[in-house]
Amino acid sequence: MKTTKTIFQEGNHKWIAIVRDPNKPGYIIDTNEYLVTHGGRGLLLDPGGAEVFPAVFSALSTEFDPSLLSGIFASHQDPDICSSLALWLEFNPQMRCYVSWLWSSFIPHFGGTAETFVAIPDEGIDISLEGLHLQAVPAHFLHSSGNFHLYDKIAKILFSGDVGAALLPPSEDALFVEDFDKHIRHAEGFHRRWMGSNEAKRRWCERAAKMEIDMLCPQHGAIYRGADVQRFINWFDELQVGIVAA
Amino acid sequence: MTDALMAVNAKTSRAGADLLRIVRINEEIKRVVGVSFKINIMALNAIFLAKRAGTAALGFGVLSNELRVFSQDLRTCMESLTGLIHGCVDEVSIVLKDIRFTRLLRQTDQLTANGSVAPVLRQREIENDQHERRLSSLRKQLKRALEDAFRMVELGGVLAKSAKIEAAYGQSFAPALAQVSGEFDGIVEEIRDSLESLRRSAFFTGH
Repeated sequence: MKTTKTIFQEGNHKWIAIVRDPNKPGYIIDTNEYLVTHGGRGLLLDPGGAEVFPAVFSALSTEFDPSLLSGIFASHQDPDICSSLALWLEFNPQMRCYVSWLWSSFIPHFGGTAETFVAIPDEGIDISLEGLHLQAVPAHFLHSSGNFHLYDKIAKILFSGDVGAALLPPSEDALFVEDFDKHIRHAEGFHRRWMGSNEAKRRWCERAAKMEIDMLCPQHGAIYRGADVQRFINWFDELQVGIVAA
Repeated sequence: MTDALMAVNAKTSRAGADLLRIVRINEEIKRVVGVSFKINIMALNAIFLAKRAGTAALGFGVLSNELRVFSQDLRTCMESLTGLIHGCVDEVSIVLKDIRFTRLLRQTDQLTANGSVAPVLRQREIENDQHERRLSSLRKQLKRALEDAFRMVELGGVLAKSAKIEAAYGQSFAPALAQVSGEFDGIVEEIRDSLESLRRSAFFTGH
């Protein structure tokens, strides 16, 4: 089972990270799921693959009633992002899935009906969770061609999907980045290969640098907080991506 | 490994094996359809030959017509079998997906202390049972349709043998008619062997 960690709380407005399953088979990439709650409802960000559903669901259940999930935010279309969709819908068929318009007819292969999907236009939208406005921020080509991050300006948290991801060795599985220079080595190869466009990356860095971000929460690896957020943006801005020596 | 997990694994491998068996059955049916098309062509040729032979081959002409009707009936029968096969493929695919979802929901139930998974799991298992029942019903329908096809082929065999007898009265056309009726008989036997192998498929006998 995964563990849950509340990374932000202000009244009934919470961010809960669902992370680190010691029983996860090694051949499946490790993922972080995040639950945003407000006014008794919840939004689950990148709910994960079907095979990790039991671990995610059981961990989430310890903190929150799964039937009160209003929706799922899928940063993009990959199987580790939302192949569990059909299983979540078993619990709440009314649940909505927010995803780029580009993938809104692809993801139904994982599950759902025409009513399930809310197609996000390229410029992004505000997603309301019981009066809390969360912003779907464009991050196209980082790495998917229809890609969004989610920003909570009250919590000052940016859920950044694959941006900021690191493939950590088992010995380094802390939830937060503690030593940036040591940590970023585990992120470099991932970003060089998975991020497809230097131009898209530069635009994202400009956009992110203007936002107030206390925590940058990737879907793999550890969370950047405080000064490490800007440190990461600068590092990413410098990195050459989308090139394969083949 | 827990008993439940072993049962799920057994069910998965059975459903997977079923899918392979259905694919094999479908291939055999396609072969029969191809052969029945050949009978249709042969029957047409036999009808022309009988016409050329005139009064000496009247009986043979009637039987050729019957064989042509038989080939068309056989094709219709095979089309309905194909429809049932496609239904089986659909259901087995759903059963395979159900098995995976049920496995994941069971794991979830074991990990979740508050019992919130149990109603969903029960609902899922009710739906699984419905799919299993539908598959079982399709299996029976397919078996019945196969028996119908087999009876039809028995009739085809009788027609082919009668054509052989009639060919003997074809006077100067007798050798040509004998050759055609021999080919009919060979092809009907080929179809019978195909259907016999389908009858023995573990898809019907293994459950």
